[in-house]
Amino acid sequence: MTKSTKTILWVFFLFVALVQLFPLIWLADFSFLSSNEFYSSSILKWPSAPQWQNYINAWVDGKFLRYFINSAFITTVTILLTVVLSLTLGYAFTRMEWKFRSVFFTIILLGIMIPIHATLLPNFAIFKALGLTDSYLGLILPYTAVSVPMGTFILTGFLRSIPKALEESAIVDGANIYRIVFQIIAPLTAPALVTVVVTTFLNCWNEFIMASTFLSKDALKTLPFSVMNFAGQYSSDYGSQFAVMVLTSIPAIVIYAIFNEQITKGVTAGAVKG
Amino acid sequence: MQKVFNNKMAIFLFVFPGILLFSLTFLVPIVLSGYYSFRDTLAPGTPSAFIGFANYTELLFHDSRFWLALRNAVLLGLGFIFIQHPIAIFFAIMLDRLGGKAEKWFRTIFFIPCVISVVVISKMWLSLLDPTFGAFNKLLDTLGLGFLKHAWLGDSSTALVTMLFILIWAGFGWGLLFYYAGLKGIPDEMYEAASLDGASGFKLHLRITVPLLSPVITVQITLAMITALKQMETVFLTTNGGPGDSTQFLAVYLYNKAFSASQYGYANAISILFIVVCLLATYLSNKLTRSDATEF
Repeated sequence: MTKSTKTILWVFFLFVALVQLFPLIWLADFSFLSSNEFYSSSILKWPSAPQWQNYINAWVDGKFLRYFINSAFITTVTILLTVVLSLTLGYAFTRMEWKFRSVFFTIILLGIMIPIHATLLPNFAIFKALGLTDSYLGLILPYTAVSVPMGTFILTGFLRSIPKALEESAIVDGANIYRIVFQIIAPLTAPALVTVVVTTFLNCWNEFIMASTFLSKDALKTLPFSVMNFAGQYSSDYGSQFAVMVLTSIPAIVIYAIFNEQITKGVTAGAVKG
Repeated sequence: MQKVFNNKMAIFLFVFPGILLFSLTFLVPIVLSGYYSFRDTLAPGTPSAFIGFANYTELLFHDSRFWLALRNAVLLGLGFIFIQHPIAIFFAIMLDRLGGKAEKWFRTIFFIPCVISVVVISKMWLSLLDPTFGAFNKLLDTLGLGFLKHAWLGDSSTALVTMLFILIWAGFGWGLLFYYAGLKGIPDEMYEAASLDGASGFKLHLRITVPLLSPVITVQITLAMITALKQMETVFLTTNGGPGDSTQFLAVYLYNKAFSASQYGYANAISILFIVVCLLATYLSNKLTRSDATEF
């Protein structure tokens, strides 16, 4: 490609990136404004005095820390469960020899096609009867159940690309099946596992509809609620509302920035070849 | 060797927990949903009468909302397939050509909206499109297009198109990433061979890239259809199906029927049909794209 084509491409991408990010830039910009500055005619506006108070409101009244801790706990447990279950299921489906494996594999894959919203109503009834609503478990269980099918799918795709010779030599050395799976195979599937971790993280961290159906106790609520609660409480204070939205977005962006490279690698390794 | 891979105990330990969890929170609920769908239930746990297929006949033959919601999902799916995906493929190819550090940066930037919480996305777009202080109408003013100013989500004639635009914006990064990953799997020799044969530029991509991407495209088309059908949160948090029913979607509809309209049995019937539609859509799009590479 010639230098001038490259420059044109660069400029074009820069423009599109701006368009793509503009809503977020606007959100961040307006989070520093006082509400009466909102109605000026300019699209982006340098704040006359940055309204740090908006962020204080967001942190305190958005109950940011409380919700953040809840989100972190629920998401971490879900990710751990998902990784272990997807790995063991994936291994059993690709390597182990047993009668009904294709039947069970199909059943698990149904989870990718069936919308979680279809399980929302009956689960609400079941969880209510079992006393699981308003508990961490009431979100961890369905989150894991939703994440495991995709995780298993990604891992089966990846496991097929690992040569069996590795396990054969491990068996010759006298390793048992658990050692093989957790000490030899697990590290090898790291790129696929990272994809599972990241997609599970994104799905659970930002999930709202199950959380809002199954949780009513304030002490258990997750991060998206800081935005939801706030919208009512500060209905006309847009600056504070925007501040809480910015605050809510930061953790996910930070995690993404850290794992960005692995996401692409993981998608290449898992979902595409799968 | 066989002894290790046939280890019944290990197979049980590997499979049972996952299957149990999946069954308890996925399959059993669906069966229960089927049970409720034959009843005239107002709320979960309330006593109810068995009414046979009444909910289903009402839904299929008298409920125009159900069909409207389905139509909207199909339109959204087509929007994904014919607008979002071609754009994503185009950008994936251009990114790949760009190379170097910039390739990585732009790839990272384009994906950012995909990591933002759906609650934030929804509230943000509501504000951006707000008729009084929203940036979108201000932008139109600045461009001298003030006559186009509009309550984009508040008008039933523009709400669905606006929703499509928001969802394409929000999901673009995922499409891009998948096609980009697919491109990286195409060996360079393919291009070298083709350029020796005289193909170049756009033609080269049309002849080489797109056909070689076809396994990825097939999977993505199926996923696009499912994503469109499953669409809920953004709609729920912005228009809640309105104005009128112009942005009605199945999941939003069933949610409101169950929790606002107190028609729990009816909502479960929607739920069951919803599953049937999703499975059918997967089957059909697999058939239509005559895929042998996909497994779901």
